[in-house]
Amino acid sequence: MTMQDAWTDRLSEYLDDELDAGERRELEAHLAGCAACTGTLGELTRVVDRARTLGSAPPREDLWNGVAARLGERREPWRVSFTLPQLAAASVLLAVVSGGAAWRLQTAWRPAPAAVARTAESTVAAAVDSQIDPRIEPVGLVDAQYDSAVADLQRALDKGRGHLDPATITLVRQNLTIIDRALEQARQAVVDDPGNSYLTSHLVETRRRKLDLLRRAAALAGETN
Amino acid sequence: MALTGEGPRVQAVLDPDVALAARGDSSAFERLYRLHVARIHSLARRMLGTHEADEVTQDIFVRTWQKLGQFRGESAFGTWLHRLAVNVVIERRRSFAIARERWSDDDSALDRATVPPARTDLAVDFEGAIAQLPPGACEIFVLHDVEGYKHREIAVLLGITAGTSKRQLHRARLLMRKHLGS
Repeated sequence: MTMQDAWTDRLSEYLDDELDAGERRELEAHLAGCAACTGTLGELTRVVDRARTLGSAPPREDLWNGVAARLGERREPWRVSFTLPQLAAASVLLAVVSGGAAWRLQTAWRPAPAAVARTAESTVAAAVDSQIDPRIEPVGLVDAQYDSAVADLQRALDKGRGHLDPATITLVRQNLTIIDRALEQARQAVVDDPGNSYLTSHLVETRRRKLDLLRRAAALAGETN
Repeated sequence: MALTGEGPRVQAVLDPDVALAARGDSSAFERLYRLHVARIHSLARRMLGTHEADEVTQDIFVRTWQKLGQFRGESAFGTWLHRLAVNVVIERRRSFAIARERWSDDDSALDRATVPPARTDLAVDFEGAIAQLPPGACEIFVLHDVEGYKHREIAVLLGITAGTSKRQLHRARLLMRKHLGS
């Protein structure tokens, strides 16, 4: 790179007043003796001036009717809708929450239904094939039910905690802390941008992870018990 | 007029049509649409091209309608709308995975791309030349020189460094020189 190239590459910063005082003085000294850089600076200035004065033009066709037809899609901030992949993830959560509810009703721990450990896709398939325990009444995805399932599983884990070795307890606690932190961030992100399908999906997935961890830990405690 | 019992400061700055639209008044929202559509469509056209601009403009206004309940009047509605539009446009560009290399710090993708030699008709078509810039340079040129965003803001919006933004802008300006006309 020649010295002139080096100065040429700084011309936009000079134009945008982003050089410090020393650099600015050096560049101005160079410009005083370099016709090429002075010419380039003039052209760049014209480009910037032109860009800043570009006007706005409406679309060639009126787009309002297309917008108006979709206003029914309006959603309140606390409501979410799901795409197919999200429904797959949600179905896993539903199965887990349902499992928690069933466990609560039966008051006795039993091994997790196989569906819980399956992937989202296979769980959907399982649901279609009616392989999910028909005694389990599906519950919704609202916070109260989720929190209730978490609380139930947490109690089960606490009850069986004495039967787990300390290393396992520490590991579970550390993982729960990490998941809770992720959950809080995901919740906040969804609050900030409720229409973002990725964030919604991420929140559902993070919730599923917490339930899954609690359920496995509680099962382990129960089995040890 | 407040949206949801906000304080006096918000009441003082909130456009009545914004408040009405936030409560579900589609006529008020249409007035907002007609007031702002030219700027939003121009942004979409410059950053995504003519073919995508109509659809994306509609998406932006639908998204605006859905999010109006979150607008608290801390900034002008037009500013809020524009920021939302920029996010939607960037999101759309990412979903198209246009020129994945464009964020590399070595600018190699930009170096390989060139704007066609100036012709008389193109020389006067500054807008057309913007559309022919390499994608990353195009985004940054529009955001910085047309829309007035700062490099640090662009860096946050696009997930790049301010230095990359500066370099791409400079290359874009150098390429655009050929289309200034006489």
